[in-house]
Amino acid sequence: MRAALIDVFVKKYASLSGIAHVVNGADAVAPIVVQVLGDVDCKRVALAELPDGLADAIQSACVDAGFEVLTPPFDNRALPHAIDAADVGVSWAAFAVAESGSLVEFALDDAVRLVSTLPRVHIGIFQASALLANLTDAAEPLRQFFEDHPHNATATFISGPSRTADIEMRLTLGVHGPEVAHAIVIA
Amino acid sequence: MASQRYENLYAKIETALREKPKRTQLYNAVKRARDSRRAAIDILPQGEAFRKEVREIKVRCTAKLDDLVDQFAERVEARGARVFLAEDGAAAIGYILKLAAEKNAKTVAKSKSLTSEEIEVNHPIEEAGLEVIETDLGELIIQKVHEKPFHLVFPAVHKTAVEVAEIFEKETGEGVPHDVDAIMKVVRQYLRPIFLNADIGMTGANVGVAESGAILIETNEGNARLVSSIPDVHICIMGREKVVETTGDAIMMMLAHPVSAVGQHTTTYVTWMGGRSPLGADGKTPRESHIIILDNGRSAMKEDPLFSDALNCIRCGACMNICPTYGVVGGHAFGHIYPGPIGIPWTSEVHGLDKAGDFAPLCISCGLCKEICPAEIDIPMMIAGVKDRDSEVNPHPRVNKMLMAAERAAKMGSLTAPLSNWLMDNAWVRWAMEKAMGIDRRRQLPKFSRKTLVKRFAKRGPLPVSNPVRKVAFFMDLFANYNDPDLGMAAIECLEARGCEVVIPPQKGCGYPYIGYGDLKKARKVARENVDFLAPYVNRGYEVVATEPTATYCLKISYPKLLDKSEDAVAIADHTFEFFEFLSLLKGDVAVGERNALSGRKFGFHIPCHQRPLGAGEHAMAFLHARGAEVALIETGTCCGMAGTFGLKAGPLGYELSQAVGEPLFEGFRDADVEAIVTESSVCALHLSEGTGHAVWHPLNLLRFLK
Repeated sequence: MRAALIDVFVKKYASLSGIAHVVNGADAVAPIVVQVLGDVDCKRVALAELPDGLADAIQSACVDAGFEVLTPPFDNRALPHAIDAADVGVSWAAFAVAESGSLVEFALDDAVRLVSTLPRVHIGIFQASALLANLTDAAEPLRQFFEDHPHNATATFISGPSRTADIEMRLTLGVHGPEVAHAIVIA
Repeated sequence: MASQRYENLYAKIETALREKPKRTQLYNAVKRARDSRRAAIDILPQGEAFRKEVREIKVRCTAKLDDLVDQFAERVEARGARVFLAEDGAAAIGYILKLAAEKNAKTVAKSKSLTSEEIEVNHPIEEAGLEVIETDLGELIIQKVHEKPFHLVFPAVHKTAVEVAEIFEKETGEGVPHDVDAIMKVVRQYLRPIFLNADIGMTGANVGVAESGAILIETNEGNARLVSSIPDVHICIMGREKVVETTGDAIMMMLAHPVSAVGQHTTTYVTWMGGRSPLGADGKTPRESHIIILDNGRSAMKEDPLFSDALNCIRCGACMNICPTYGVVGGHAFGHIYPGPIGIPWTSEVHGLDKAGDFAPLCISCGLCKEICPAEIDIPMMIAGVKDRDSEVNPHPRVNKMLMAAERAAKMGSLTAPLSNWLMDNAWVRWAMEKAMGIDRRRQLPKFSRKTLVKRFAKRGPLPVSNPVRKVAFFMDLFANYNDPDLGMAAIECLEARGCEVVIPPQKGCGYPYIGYGDLKKARKVARENVDFLAPYVNRGYEVVATEPTATYCLKISYPKLLDKSEDAVAIADHTFEFFEFLSLLKGDVAVGERNALSGRKFGFHIPCHQRPLGAGEHAMAFLHARGAEVALIETGTCCGMAGTFGLKAGPLGYELSQAVGEPLFEGFRDADVEAIVTESSVCALHLSEGTGHAVWHPLNLLRFLK
């Protein structure tokens, strides 16, 4: 059941020009991140808030592999330029939707949104257990998120890389946001 | 002869007709969008029924909009953002200018917002000395060349890569390669510092959620993410009709927008923004978000019985993608600021009736926008209302008046046949008709029959049927009565042969031209007369059967609407059938001698627009199949261009535009390996026959004549 749903997500995500990786357990995430950084010729990577163990694992793996790593808390005075200078942004998605190939990012700090928008490559990570089948299933977790955060709160559906077809109806990626999007699904 | 308004409109149409490459780009764009939409809807769990859900949400929310806007505003403020309720554009602009001055702002980075275009916000901000940069690529391109969007969703679809490259060469002072990928890299570099350094980020909102006080902003490019997150001041301009009640409602809107617009399941980025978040830690500068909720005529619109439905528009642009004439002339001719079909009532309400009247004649009342609209808005009837109201100031052109009264002309033509037919074949007469009446001389006109169907049927008398299986009141409309009574008789005999008792009740022509050209008073009058004629029959157990799709459309769809769902109109609508649908319900549908009548023959089938909501020709096609024919459905997904009598009119707003609309369909029929075309519409038949060189038959005539 879960495997079938992951399959739906992976196919949909691929149709949106995204690249999905399904890994077994959180331990398998950092090596994938490092591999992607190598593939895209990355020098500097920005990490957004990630679950505790995962943040440490990814940070140390990246440092070990020789990448410059930017981690939160980000200094307001250095923003947005510090994140703009990163080649890759890595962030966490609270949940995902298989039907539409969407990662859903919860942010209480706009720096998180910059991590998933400014660099030319984005890597989004989520738990397979948080994969929903349909868009309509997203209503309840979203309602809950805004109820839990009565002041500032931003949720974003991210479905593949930045795209436009504004010139001659030809699909092109990365006009403002990332031109390459990876999703890592922790099964 | 024609007024200045028509001269201007003709000039715009002629320009569009001349620019073939631009037309092709537009045609491909809208065709691709509607084909993708079709495919996306086919894989939705609820399919087409999703439109019912969208309508339910919009109707529910519009009904209690005042309360929802209050609730939304309260929740937004509770989140720490500011709300400004703007009565009109001037109030909204005043608020923005004051804010910009307070912040000493120099640059405004904008993501696409039609509502900001509605109040033409850029100009006064620039006048105040600020720089405004559109960051949506398409909008940026047209901003650089000072044009208006050519299409709502694809604003720069008329520009080639070469033209765009030249625009950015001029802008950056550097060479820009003429390919799309390279241009994109240049644009990314060009806009990045603007995103990073803008003082104000301005967005629209696709939805506001009353329950949570969040706004939704949808972009594929991601520009709205950047303009809503980087600058310390965020301004959102949204129409008050964007507010929905719950998170679930907002999700449906988020689905309905891209599915309807381009056949995407979701827009690549959908930002749900509640209040204003800090940027990083130790932030010293206060970060603000200002939500301007614009009225600008919307509250008045809600109170107008004819136009309140327009508030249910979700701004997807689907009506533009299916509109046959918009697909040829584009938004520069077909629009003021709000373009396309729904743009006509919206323009009338927010920019004035006169502005709407300037492009309303481009609507040929095919009705397709109603069939594609995700909120099931009756756009054609609203447009008829605009034309109607406008005609009080700017009277209908003579040719429209004459075509609305087509019944009189048909009666005359029939009374004077064959002389009338001979005259209409005479080049001099046709030249004179074009000059005096505005009927294009190139158009073949149908021949009149001196013996009308009514006369023939009266002479023969109704066939007494004991224990009839069904009792039928035959609705003939003009063509079967005045032009092709043989067709009418064939239909009647076909029903009688299957045990039906058939009568021809007193009746008028269906009167659709009154809706099409916009004389709602007369449209209502005809509707009432026909309903009064038919009601006694329906009350006695008769069913109404019609052979002309537009007539069936009137009886089933237009009359109940025109007559405020009167009991009689609804009863008649419920008991009206298309001829072939009715036939399929009868035993012995296929006569024994007919089983293989069409074996080994292949026909192309055309669905008239008004037949689409009636079953899209499925019964007529089944009728042909059951008689051995191979049937190829040839369609472009829009109108053939004839649109009733529109294609009879001389000049750009008539014959020429109808030819341009028809071209791709003609090509489809010419390329298909078929021996003839079959359609049930008498007027589409004229157009298709001229455009393709094929013979065009009504299915019943096919059986009679094709040996």
